Amino acid sequence: MADQEKLVIMVTHGPEDPELATIPFVMAGAAVASDVDVVMGFQGEGCRLVQRGVAETVSAPEFAPLAGLLDSVRDLGGKLLVCSPCVKSRGIEDELVDGAEVCAAARFVAEITSATNSLVY
Amino acid sequence: MATTHEDLVLDARGLLCPMPIVKTAKAMKELEPGQVLKVMATDRGALTDVPAWAETTGNELLESHEEDGFLVFHLRKRDD
Repeated sequence: MADQEKLVIMVTHGPEDPELATIPFVMAGAAVASDVDVVMGFQGEGCRLVQRGVAETVSAPEFAPLAGLLDSVRDLGGKLLVCSPCVKSRGIEDELVDGAEVCAAARFVAEITSATNSLVY
Repeated sequence: MATTHEDLVLDARGLLCPMPIVKTAKAMKELEPGQVLKVMATDRGALTDVPAWAETTGNELLESHEEDGFLVFHLRKRDD
């Protein structure tokens, strides 16, 4: 095997855009299934997707439902990092799904600069 | 058509991208190196996803074909 690859996927769209909310989870699912380390970063309205109970409400036509994708990404070891000021401004810091970790900008920078590649949605 | 032996069957019919390969990755963990997984899928994306997944992960796609409205893939688990 080559060196372990890592993909960072930044998510900035939430339930208001189901397709752009779902596609990053599709990419993350394909990556964890392919033995690639995955870090998903949620900023802006993207934070809503890791608020408890929200993923279950998001589904885009012709895409797998978001809740099942989220479960798969977590099951296969994907990490979920959430922007600290974004969750505070929305008052949802105590309502995040299991496994979601609140962090600040320097952590995102460290994850991105140490990754093989990153995607921003 | 020659039949290919399989050790485990995964029915991923009805699942949308990327769930067939997510389930494939999980099913492969149940197998020993050299054993063969049969995957059935209806998502046309699997036509390119399964070969790409095999290439990326080092597992071997032995063959693929189409049956009554679904796709069939046989994958051999890589050596550790």
